[in-house]
Amino acid sequence: MLFFKFDRRIFQYFDWTLLALVLGICAIGIINIYSAVFSLNEKQIPLYLKQVQWVLLGSFFMMVVFLIDYRVISEGAYVIYGISVALLVVVFLYGYTANGSQRWIALGSFSFQPSELMKLTIILALARYFDDHKSNEPYTLKELVIPFLMIMLPFLLILKQPDLGTALIIIIVFASIVFFIGVNWKSVAIVFAGGLMLMPLGWHFLKDYQRDRLITFLNPENDPLGTGYHIIQSMIAIGSGGILGKGFLKGSQTQLKFLPEQQTDFVFSVFAEEWGFIGALFLFILFMSLIFWGLKIALHSRDLLGTLIAFGITALISWEIFINAGMVLGILPVVGIPLPFLSYGGSAMIVLLTAIGLLMNVSVRRLILQR
Amino acid sequence: MANRHNLLNGPEPAEFRQKLKIIIIVILVAFSILLVRLWYLQVIKGDDLKQRSENNSIRFRKIMPLRGLVMDRNRHVIVDNRPSFDVLYMPSRGKNPDRLVEKIKELYSRRSLEFSYDQPFSRQMKPYLPVRLEKNVSMEKIALIETNSLDLPGIYIDVSPVRLYLDGETIAPIIGYTGEISKEELEKDDEYASGDIIGKHGVEKFLDPYIRGSRGAELVEVNAYGKEIKNLGRIDPISGYNIVLNIEADLQKTAWEAFEGRSGAAVALDPRNGAVLAMVSSPSFDPNLFNSGVSGEQWNKIANNPLTPLTNRAISGQYPPGSTYKMIVAAAALEEGIITPDTKFACDGSYQFGNRIFRCWQKKGHGHVSLHRALVESCDVYFYNVGRMLGVDKIAHYAKLFGLGGTTGIDLPNEKSGLIPTKQWKLTKMKQVWQPGETISISIGQGFDLVTPLQLVSSYSALANGGTLWQPQLVKSVETVEGKVYKEFLPEQKGKLSLKKETIDLLGSALWGVVNEPGGTGKAAQRPNADVCGKTGTSQVVGLPENEKSRRMKKIGVLQRDHALFVCFAPLKNPEIAVAVIVENAGHGGAVAAPIARKILDAYFEGKKKIKQPQEAVSSQPAGSVQQ
Repeated sequence: MLFFKFDRRIFQYFDWTLLALVLGICAIGIINIYSAVFSLNEKQIPLYLKQVQWVLLGSFFMMVVFLIDYRVISEGAYVIYGISVALLVVVFLYGYTANGSQRWIALGSFSFQPSELMKLTIILALARYFDDHKSNEPYTLKELVIPFLMIMLPFLLILKQPDLGTALIIIIVFASIVFFIGVNWKSVAIVFAGGLMLMPLGWHFLKDYQRDRLITFLNPENDPLGTGYHIIQSMIAIGSGGILGKGFLKGSQTQLKFLPEQQTDFVFSVFAEEWGFIGALFLFILFMSLIFWGLKIALHSRDLLGTLIAFGITALISWEIFINAGMVLGILPVVGIPLPFLSYGGSAMIVLLTAIGLLMNVSVRRLILQR
Repeated sequence: MANRHNLLNGPEPAEFRQKLKIIIIVILVAFSILLVRLWYLQVIKGDDLKQRSENNSIRFRKIMPLRGLVMDRNRHVIVDNRPSFDVLYMPSRGKNPDRLVEKIKELYSRRSLEFSYDQPFSRQMKPYLPVRLEKNVSMEKIALIETNSLDLPGIYIDVSPVRLYLDGETIAPIIGYTGEISKEELEKDDEYASGDIIGKHGVEKFLDPYIRGSRGAELVEVNAYGKEIKNLGRIDPISGYNIVLNIEADLQKTAWEAFEGRSGAAVALDPRNGAVLAMVSSPSFDPNLFNSGVSGEQWNKIANNPLTPLTNRAISGQYPPGSTYKMIVAAAALEEGIITPDTKFACDGSYQFGNRIFRCWQKKGHGHVSLHRALVESCDVYFYNVGRMLGVDKIAHYAKLFGLGGTTGIDLPNEKSGLIPTKQWKLTKMKQVWQPGETISISIGQGFDLVTPLQLVSSYSALANGGTLWQPQLVKSVETVEGKVYKEFLPEQKGKLSLKKETIDLLGSALWGVVNEPGGTGKAAQRPNADVCGKTGTSQVVGLPENEKSRRMKKIGVLQRDHALFVCFAPLKNPEIAVAVIVENAGHGGAVAAPIARKILDAYFEGKKKIKQPQEAVSSQPAGSVQQ
């Protein structure tokens, strides 16, 4: 057991690159939120200061998770999974509702969103499961039944909230891990065909607002007063930034509050309006570096567990970036997924930084374990 | 593949490398798509979108619905809407409002026009909340602003509907007026939003939920000068319902004119169902002043006028009923069997009770009079006797049966209930025991007694129709814009007086006598070929000692002079109209109030003749087609 056994080498091999990348992106996020809420006259603590709090709190969790060997953490993966599911049930029963969906648990003056935690927990649980059930052959459909059930439980609970975006992310992360670990292509074909057939049925289960969003995505100008407003305003904001951007605090779309949810899901529009194509390109390069760094950690891990944890986390971050940027740029429907490290939100920030802690954990221990 | 995992349980890198290649390609493709899209939006369409964001801004605009029309029973429009052109300033569109105002003033002064806005601008103006600088401006001003709009960024002309009160002051205190919602009103009802125009008084207030309609909204792109470029979407407002009143506009106008500016009130009811045919309160005000943004000075003049032109005296004015109350006392006495029609009392001009002397208005007295003559000549002493025998509580009991002492429930705000005293009332309210002497005053409608003109006419209507107390109704129906009936207000019975037929007949003939018999006090209301029945009244404003009153009559101030009252109905058989008139501080009811009632009756019966003829002409056509 390496639990609490202080090892000097974890500092010797500390992944400074990863830390610098992540904190760098967080810093951009805080500056951006400062601008996003600049024109809002708030009497409470300004949002950017609150985001600083979340980053500090997240960094604390990052360090805690970093210090405990991921293999020890993995021992408790199912327990953590169980707690997360239990929290989702609590939300289902007692959670409070905001903006029409029941996603939060009140913790004193704060509120916590267990669906964010579930994103990380499911990666841990799946990594543990596949590590326990190693196979030399690609997995068949039958072998994937249990992990599939493992994700369906939180998936349905989250879908019920309703939070289509997070539910979708859980499915996509699962699919990514399954793809990565190897799956029988016949099985994939069957699942895909089945999925296609179930799609009309799925449409039936969507909430009205979710359907509206899909329809609006197909034709935003159709409904400029309603859902399309978000997309149109977002595209105007981004486009008006041009190559060089309008400058910090000078985005008129942002400052005049044409953008909806400009500090959460649409925070990228604020950034692109004020910093232009150059700024957005720079941000994308940072994101790409982070993703490739994550993949490198996955590839060089000394065991399957570490590989799967690192890959899962990298996949989660990548998909969130793609889907968020895609929807803000008007090429994907608005499904409500925050932009990692940039969108305002305590639960998401803490969970993401904890995930980075795990990533560092894998990164450092591959070097320690080499000896 | 035995070596898939090495000793440390690590994966075989080669195995995953293959996958990673695919994954890296996916990631690169994904980022490429995002970058291409970003390039397309920011570089290719950048200038376009930049213009859209900088020169154009999108904003929501509430669209106010048209308020419903108010019409009389013959669908003559009393309240309409008209466009008002206002000068507005949008803070987000133009900096430095003070300089803009200077510019407007300069433009105006060249044509010697005046600019009325003189309030300083607040430091914390919301960028998209326009400030109204001038309301209801002339075409000349509109032209000036529009032609100089390039020099006046942020200044624009807005058209909004405002009320047009076609019948103006003739019915203003009844119809009321509209205005921007106040903070208190906002808190009471969450149907409203700030900036809404709501009814502040009268019909406009009472029926506001029907009249107001519902707001629409518009999403518009405006340029840097606040000019609309493109309409992006619109939810149409829904106009309010139209209101059809029971009022007859011609009758209303006649009644108003009959007052000739004197203070007072008149109400005409249809005794068969309680429909309010006319309701006048004088002095009145010009409700159209409120549309064009009354200046503070004008508002103060109206609101602080000691004659309270905003008050609807017909329902909120409380007056001692004076001799008009004698009908009630007579009914009570007959019903209670205290007197018979033949019971006589001697009147020598005064009545002594204890050491107090109560005078009859006729100093020389009426001699021996029966009930009929006592009512016709309005003998006070007769009723002093009857009242004493009845006692205050019996009188109050009957007064309340006639609907006095409580609100009538008319569909208007701020109705007063008047006051009909009882022994218990005095004990509770004033902590004093009722004095028998006070009953004497009560029996001729003085003392504590207070009634509103509406209560008075309502009580006489109940007598006229044989005992049914109808709830007076101003509103006949609420209609949709297309003219379909949305809600109809059917007559509502408030109570039933179980008076003996003899009592009703006896009182009816006595009231006929008041107008038509020699010596009657209401001769001024007499009409040829119409059996007008009525009762005069003169109510004291201040309780001057009875014996000094006549002596000092000419010396007291205007506001202390007696009120003149007259209540009547016509014809005697199957009455169609009942009228109460009160003229404040004007002297004797028979001399001042009765002629006004007479004019109202004249207008009613002549109008009926006029309406009958065209109606017959119209109805003859379908009849003809049936014959074929």
